[in-house]
Amino acid sequence: MGASKIVPISDAISSIVEDGSFVAVGGMHLHNNPMALVREIIRQGRRIGKLLTSPCGAMNADLLLGAGLVDELVTSYVGFEHLGLAPNFRRLAEQGSIRILECDEPYITHGLYAGAGGLPFIPLPRGLEYSDIPKVNPESYAYAEDPFSGERVLVGAPLSPEVALLHAQLSDAQGNAVLLGAHFLDRSMALASKHVILQVERIVSTEEISSHPMGTTIPAFLVDAVVLAAGGCHPTSSHAFYTYDEEHLRQYLAMARDERGTDEYLTRYVHQTTEALYSQSTTDRISGLRYEGSLEERGR
Amino acid sequence: MSLDQTTDWSSSELMATVLAGELHDGEVAIMGTGSAIPQASCRLAQLTHAPNFSYIAGGTCSVNPYQQPLVASACDYRLLRAETAVPLTDVVLMEGRGDVFDIFFAGGIQIDVYGNCNLVAVGSWNHPHPRGPGSVGLPFLSRVGRTLIYTMSHNRRTFVEKVDFRSGPGFLEGPVSWREAGLMGGGPAMVVTPLCAMTFNPETLRMRIASLHPGVELQQVVDATGFEIEIEEPVPNTAPPSPEQLDILRAMDPDGLLR
Repeated sequence: MGASKIVPISDAISSIVEDGSFVAVGGMHLHNNPMALVREIIRQGRRIGKLLTSPCGAMNADLLLGAGLVDELVTSYVGFEHLGLAPNFRRLAEQGSIRILECDEPYITHGLYAGAGGLPFIPLPRGLEYSDIPKVNPESYAYAEDPFSGERVLVGAPLSPEVALLHAQLSDAQGNAVLLGAHFLDRSMALASKHVILQVERIVSTEEISSHPMGTTIPAFLVDAVVLAAGGCHPTSSHAFYTYDEEHLRQYLAMARDERGTDEYLTRYVHQTTEALYSQSTTDRISGLRYEGSLEERGR
Repeated sequence: MSLDQTTDWSSSELMATVLAGELHDGEVAIMGTGSAIPQASCRLAQLTHAPNFSYIAGGTCSVNPYQQPLVASACDYRLLRAETAVPLTDVVLMEGRGDVFDIFFAGGIQIDVYGNCNLVAVGSWNHPHPRGPGSVGLPFLSRVGRTLIYTMSHNRRTFVEKVDFRSGPGFLEGPVSWREAGLMGGGPAMVVTPLCAMTFNPETLRMRIASLHPGVELQQVVDATGFEIEIEEPVPNTAPPSPEQLDILRAMDPDGLLR
């Protein structure tokens, strides 16, 4: 039992995310993106020195890119799956105005493991060197001699973010967090990052957490701040709570085709609102996005 | 989208049945982004000829999802309506082990004559047009079982002689480089599009037409392919989905993702 880490979202960002930090942003594809934290970073205009996505970033990365706040991007995918390419990522990449550290999923996964374990580098399975990715990213990939076989082996640099921005469905006030659906790489990001800011759908009692201790995804000792953000993944999904808002995402994709539309989107949905107001204004939409048989609907 | 008005099945449904035919009892398949067609093919195989076939769905890593319903996103929560699920980190780990997964479904914004896939960049990597979304797990094609490639875009922009950026290795630069590499994976086995199914000539390792979908002319495929595709005449027709297969596909697809 420790002190509560529940803080207002503005304090969580202003006190933990320093300008120029290496930030990992959780969620995968159209799911569990910590959008409340992402929007607050944009409101505060925090520059991100290096942004790491899970293997697959979506709105979480594209909105930060569109806000012009990212210097370097470490990723193996930014897109909107069946809904289309990521407009800001695509535009900045085609203009050459964002530095991309091109990665693949095995490197990001094992690189976080190396970061979490203090491993100086991590050897990667043979065969990965036959993609062109290591050639364009010497900062993340290199070759070393395998001391056992003497063979040349592809290795990856450890990934050690300063801050991880993550979404959990449930957490107690100290930050013992439960992801009710898939974990993606969120747990790895928590293990590898110096600081963790958690946004959660619901605060529960420590008794509820400790009744299933092995069901805890992230232990509180890794968590610096807990932000209550019901509906905070919108317009992406929060597993077990609500699905993604396809209509809103399509609206974003249409607006973000150019810089002006992106600015309009940011003005309307980020700068001219607070997270409390955003949450209020999307309550009705989100109740329409709950699916039959969701864990929340069934009660837990 | 129907290929012609005399058929009552769609391109996607046909592609799912063709892919299902490539999946064998006891095998394990993995897949990534935007994978409604392979997911449908896997479930179809399980419910017909391959009851002991297993598949792992995208980043959710659910094992044998029931497809209640079939969903468009590879990380959808509803995929956890499944037999079980494993952590993504474990799946990536075992992709490296190399002898666990038999089939990897792949695709690309470019696919070349040797089955190399590109999800990263058309043109130069520094100044791409278009910039693709990124490669996720495709570099593991070098290591995992055999590759089944699918795409809805059969045109000269997608099917090129050589990919501008190799993000998912196929038979590399052809027979010599493939032999020298001595990779663990078996390489690409089949490519399925709305026009045809293609396999690879075991000698040249170049793509060749295996069967034409009903209503498609050979010349259509030749015109839509940006490299000289191998043809061994007579080219057979792809078997259309059976009524039983269509019933199974439609029962799992109330939202009509494959229609």
